[in-house]
Amino acid sequence: MAQTLYEKYGGFKTISRVVMSFYEMALESDQIGDYFEDIDMPRLIDHQTKFVSSLIGGPASFSDDRIKAVHSHLNITHADFDEMAALFGEALEMHGVSAQDIQTALGAIENKRSIIVVRHAA
Amino acid sequence: MSIHAINEQLLRAIGVGVAIVRASDLKFVFHNGPFSEWFGTPEKKQTLLDLIPDLDLRELDDVKQSGLRYSVELQIKPKRRTLVFAVTVSLTNELSDQLLIVECQNITRIRELESMIDSYSTMVERNTRELEREKERVERLLLNVMPRAVYEEFKTFGVVTPQLYKEVSVVMLDFVGFTDFAAKTDPTVTLSELNDIFTAFDRIVEQFGCERIKTIGDAYLAVSGMPDATPDHATSVAHCAVRFLRYLERRNESHPHKWQARIGLGMGAAVGSVVGIQKYVYDVFGPAVNTAARLQVFANPMHIVAPEEMKYALIDEFQVSDIGRVAIKGMGDMDLINVTSGLSVTQGSGRI
Repeated sequence: MAQTLYEKYGGFKTISRVVMSFYEMALESDQIGDYFEDIDMPRLIDHQTKFVSSLIGGPASFSDDRIKAVHSHLNITHADFDEMAALFGEALEMHGVSAQDIQTALGAIENKRSIIVVRHAA
Repeated sequence: MSIHAINEQLLRAIGVGVAIVRASDLKFVFHNGPFSEWFGTPEKKQTLLDLIPDLDLRELDDVKQSGLRYSVELQIKPKRRTLVFAVTVSLTNELSDQLLIVECQNITRIRELESMIDSYSTMVERNTRELEREKERVERLLLNVMPRAVYEEFKTFGVVTPQLYKEVSVVMLDFVGFTDFAAKTDPTVTLSELNDIFTAFDRIVEQFGCERIKTIGDAYLAVSGMPDATPDHATSVAHCAVRFLRYLERRNESHPHKWQARIGLGMGAAVGSVVGIQKYVYDVFGPAVNTAARLQVFANPMHIVAPEEMKYALIDEFQVSDIGRVAIKGMGDMDLINVTSGLSVTQGSGRI
């Protein structure tokens, strides 16, 4: 079985740092920060932890249906999605993930674009 | 630099938000950088409650009277990120005025990390439970192909050492005309018939403390005396054998296909081990197994044949009759006996 990024970068040790960085960046971002504004902190952290873990092969996975269900009412645009992917890439880079592995992780996100972004949004 | 100046310098330099207010009107005497960064810079007329409205006025009064500290955890949301502070208010009487010292520690990161660990450990625990269930499934599967004692050895040491059992008995059963049946019947029917019968056999085998080793096509092989030694291994396999036949007789009465089986018994030494590395098969080898296999071929349909050495072990509980000396392929001349159930003689003598 191929080694996941999760194993390669030391599991929870790295996840926790990426989650914290990503959480801060997402809230700071004027593009996507508003989506998170009214969510209380523990719930938002929970969301980010699962998000990061599942993307780099840690102990979480979501069905596409579930991802679609939780995002559908948010009217997420392609620009939002791009920003989120960019921030996630940055967070990974900050914690020493190689450029190639970041591409892999971003590829995993890209696969979900069609179920996260609303169809009519520009 | 005076001590006073040094103290003030220190208060400004530390990462804890510090403010000093007059106890009488809660107006600010001093505040440091972190404090104004988090709660805003107090203007002249503003009181502590203007900047931190979440503080409880009654608690502050209580501090003034009792001199006890008041500690509280507050949340503010200057932008989108929720900040969490541990605020402690204490009283000092050392100066002419009564003053309240307000210390604010930023514990946002601690709370965030706690939330993350909660979330993460929930995920990990769920995964662990799933793995646990998976492990149980694998264990059940492995227990189907090897006896528990062997499985325990395999689990602990990663290998199974072949082990010689000096005194075991073997029962081997094979159906008459199975090849013909299989050729002219739908394979799924064949399979479900075999499955049905072998499941019943497994129950019988379990009831008499034997181990089913394997089925090879339509042949069924079980042993007694391994991996746990038992003194009555011979009678155990004979009990199984007569019940196999009785089960088939009963089943034939209500099923379209009338199954006929031959059974051979064997007694002696056998070696048991797991064979293979990727595909585990627990198997037995040895004279007892060979004898049972050969005698099963020799047996007439719906009869049980055993070597003469088993006679004295079986004679008390079974009906035993001598067959005499017979040349058995690969084994030479052997003295054989025919075994029938003590019960079936009185109940079903008409059938024999």
